[in-house]
Amino acid sequence: MTAARLSGPSAEPSAEDAGSREQHRARYPDATGHVERDGVRVFYEVYGSGEPTVLLLPTWSIIHSRLWKLQIPDLARRSRVLTFDPRGNGRSDRPVDADAYAETEYAADALAIMDATETDRAVLVSLSMGAQRALVLASEYPERVAGAVFIGPALPLRRTIPGREASKDFAARLDSDAGWAKYNSHYWRRDYRGFLEFFFGECFSEAHSTKPTDDAVAWGLETDAESLILTQLAPGLRDRDDVLARCARVRCPVLVIHGAEDRIRSVADGEEVARATGGKFVRLEGAGHIPNVRDPVQVNLAIRDFLASIGGRA
Amino acid sequence: MITESRVSSWTRALGRRRKALYVSSPIGLGHAQRDVAIADELRKLHPDLEIDWLAQHPVTAVLETHGERIHPMSAELASESAHIAAESSGHDLNAFQAIRRMDEILLANFMVFHDVVAEGHYDLVVGDEAWDIDYYLHENPELKRTAFAWMTDFVGWLPMPAGGEREAFVTADYNAEMIEHVERFPRIRDRAIFVGEPDDIVPDDFGPGLPSIRDWTERHFAFSGYITGFDPAPLIEGRDDLRRELGFRSDERVVLVTVGGSGVGEALLRRVIASYPDAARRVNGLRMIAIAGPRIDPSSLGAPPGVEVRAFVPSLYRHLAACDLAVVQGGLTTTMELAAARRPFLYFPLGNHFEQNRHVRHRLKRYGAGRYMDYATSTPEVIAEAIASELDRPIDYRPVETDGAARAAALVAQVI
Repeated sequence: MTAARLSGPSAEPSAEDAGSREQHRARYPDATGHVERDGVRVFYEVYGSGEPTVLLLPTWSIIHSRLWKLQIPDLARRSRVLTFDPRGNGRSDRPVDADAYAETEYAADALAIMDATETDRAVLVSLSMGAQRALVLASEYPERVAGAVFIGPALPLRRTIPGREASKDFAARLDSDAGWAKYNSHYWRRDYRGFLEFFFGECFSEAHSTKPTDDAVAWGLETDAESLILTQLAPGLRDRDDVLARCARVRCPVLVIHGAEDRIRSVADGEEVARATGGKFVRLEGAGHIPNVRDPVQVNLAIRDFLASIGGRA
Repeated sequence: MITESRVSSWTRALGRRRKALYVSSPIGLGHAQRDVAIADELRKLHPDLEIDWLAQHPVTAVLETHGERIHPMSAELASESAHIAAESSGHDLNAFQAIRRMDEILLANFMVFHDVVAEGHYDLVVGDEAWDIDYYLHENPELKRTAFAWMTDFVGWLPMPAGGEREAFVTADYNAEMIEHVERFPRIRDRAIFVGEPDDIVPDDFGPGLPSIRDWTERHFAFSGYITGFDPAPLIEGRDDLRRELGFRSDERVVLVTVGGSGVGEALLRRVIASYPDAARRVNGLRMIAIAGPRIDPSSLGAPPGVEVRAFVPSLYRHLAACDLAVVQGGLTTTMELAAARRPFLYFPLGNHFEQNRHVRHRLKRYGAGRYMDYATSTPEVIAEAIASELDRPIDYRPVETDGAARAAALVAQVI
């Protein structure tokens, strides 16, 4: 069962936080807390007020909720915003068995946080792997989901990005560390930082992306190779049929945003999710895998329009 | 009955007064002062001009004393000065990394700006080092709704040695992006104004394989000359009266130590105060006044007899004009106020602050003003020696322009 602890408005960061760890934020949460499920504590933040509540879901545990730092201050001017660190990174626990990283666990964390914050329904915003838990929630708990925004969804739809074939040999000992061969458990154990730099270099394929890349690598270093390896062994959505069946069960309004130059997940996947859910599709030409960071103005305005279309404050 | 929320209005174009939104950088104290002066000159050229300010602390404090109109959405801006304070420690502020690490705040504030111009029917936006507006308009050119005048007193991010190869690479990358932005979308900056003259521009390149900063800036900017925001002539001519008014005796040599409004200055204040006994042995009648500012407790500084510590003085520039020597940080505004008032001064650029160490220092060298001091190697003894020798230095500074605000306003006025 869920044990929630709400601490009061969080103050300015300590000198230590500001100097070394995290840069000064545009906005600090109005409340923070943890939920605990099966001994795993998950950290969340609450910002602002106003309907509908927007739940910014975690993505792959390689990074944490600062992923949304360019969305939170803007969205919280009109809406209540929830965000949480994924199990495995940030201020959430790092469980040591793979099953604890199952997609259903992330989805259950989201529900627990909605319960703890007395949130009946929320608009879900997800990036990449976050699409899996968003789809679990939207298909199995439609009464809790007022809308869903998928950004660069990473779902098992069976399309492979050219050049990524090597990443299928995750557990094999490979002869090479070149390119996507770095997507490999042995390499992660050998040179975790090297993997982070490669992976986020692929994510931020746009020119002049040093800051987003540095941020993401630093967030990646807040977890470790062993935790990330567990996330790869954990059960996710089964396959293409599972994804499409869940899409067909989605009843809420949907917006899909996908960069046409995404090197992690094909833009065709995003188009398919939009088609399968009857959602709207926004194609960002020239954009890579994480447009909410690299093209934040466009993404924020698209999310705002979406929220207004389902009754939020314009 | 019609409820208020259902009423909207629109004014026919030719029935509108000219309207500008002015955005003045809150980093450093100088932008607000020069921007108020420019705004006054702009209103002379366009008497129907209405100006709203999208502003935050400490700019708002200056605007309030001048009775300027602050847009209510200003309350929604995220604080840049709190961020800069958080990035500073001791006598050190890596200004490039501090701006770079402000990405979240810049984006948040751009979104506020976007909403303000979406509703305001402005003819013009003036951005004085409003990095958020300039950057994100170039990133999202279709969001431009008004004429845009961009203004800055330096061009080019420059690496500091401690940042090594990585900082050299990243500053060059930031410069390259800026160059690409401006060259691909010349329609974003209807007017770009360099606050200074071409000779004030550093002799460096933007980075390996990138243009000379001076050549490029001369091609893409107009020049206003320096803008003090006040006329130094009465201060220079009336200096004796001013000294009497402030209680400086004619047989005293008054050294004024000031570190601006932030908490960053405490380390420098302590060290200069520690130099006083030695300096007083070298200079007859030496009196030191140290201004701690709002964030430093004066009693915490442990000043020896002969040193007065004050939390605050009104109209600091008048004290600067009246003193015999000033000891300051390396910020552009205060050092140029001293150059304009023709006072001798020692300046200590903050460690790793590329603007103070490179851009400002280059400009002061051109004016022949002030003595550069390296905080890292300046022991109290070194400071005492410098105070003694600079007090009697003849002032042969190049005169500081007095028409900068009018020149800037004339350049801006052409686009509305």
